[in-house]
Amino acid sequence: MKVRVEYSAQLRTALGRAAEDVDLPDAATVRELLIQLAATCGDDAAQHLVTDSGDLRPSLLVIVNDVATPARRNASTTLRPGDVVTLLPPVSGG
Amino acid sequence: MSDLPYLTDDERDRYGWQLTVRGFGEEGQRRLKAATVLVSRIGGVGGTVALQLAAAGIGRLVLAHAGNLRLNDLNRQLLMSTDDVGQQRIESGVRRLRALNPHVEVETIAENIDESNAARLVARCDVAVSAGPLFSERLLMNRAAVRQRKPLVDCAMYELEGRLTTIVPGKSPCLACLYPESPPLWKREFPVFSAVSSTVGSLAAMEVIKLIAGFGEPLAGRLLTFDLGDQSFRTVRIDREATCPVCNDRA
Ligand SMILES: [Zn+2]
Repeated sequence: MKVRVEYSAQLRTALGRAAEDVDLPDAATVRELLIQLAATCGDDAAQHLVTDSGDLRPSLLVIVNDVATPARRNASTTLRPGDVVTLLPPVSGG
Repeated sequence: MSDLPYLTDDERDRYGWQLTVRGFGEEGQRRLKAATVLVSRIGGVGGTVALQLAAAGIGRLVLAHAGNLRLNDLNRQLLMSTDDVGQQRIESGVRRLRALNPHVEVETIAENIDESNAARLVARCDVAVSAGPLFSERLLMNRAAVRQRKPLVDCAMYELEGRLTTIVPGKSPCLACLYPESPPLWKREFPVFSAVSSTVGSLAAMEVIKLIAGFGEPLAGRLLTFDLGDQSFRTVRIDREATCPVCNDRA
């Protein structure tokens, strides 16, 4: 199945693109999406998705179905074809 | 309402354009006049918050920001002037605010938020605004605001993007529900335009005005994200983390 993935802030900079369609196995979870992306997107972007030990970044926010949740908390959310997943690395003021 | 300060004729004239805003009115203006707002840092975001709140007639601003103004602050720190480079930033900022609206009391604290002052500074305000670049400051303000049950408007940005939410203790998740740790990859210098930081600051100021005057719908339990690259604005729901060490025991 295909899901639409949108990249924000440092992820967008590291990848050089704002969004793309990603092929995933049917009924893949948010965790599976993030692990697949981290394995294929290069280190610059991957560091915003997973820690050095391979866990999901605690402060990466993931928006699915208009709810933003830290990645670890919605890791088991099952995705459906056509879902839009927005990835927000932590940013701050200044 | 009877406890609220009255408006002078001069103030009624000054605020005439906003006194007719639906849901605000003279009572809303009197509520602003009675209120104290803490702004953590008066850079690109917080400086705009302070300017907007001074224009709107907030009673008292408590502004916390350490350090001297640098030349490369001036692409976004709109309270400051070129002549102020090398001077203490907080004193430069306050001159502009007093010139704009002498009715507003402005208290300056030449410190950034840290463990030693967060609770004390939050205790002095009715609403707090977190506009600094460090997660440690934001999370300290969050903890103090949740403990003291004060609303906190939290601001963030990057390049052409902005994010905003309002923490209303007891009603909304807190910042630690979203950021359980100070993110190790965050770098305090990042790409941004003033048009972005001042947009975030203006949106935050509107949250403060709504919270104090009691109209509209603050972003409690919602995160606003926007991208000025394509001018898309979106609000999404955010939920409390049941195990959050900061707001969990107050639920
Ligand atoms: Zn919390």
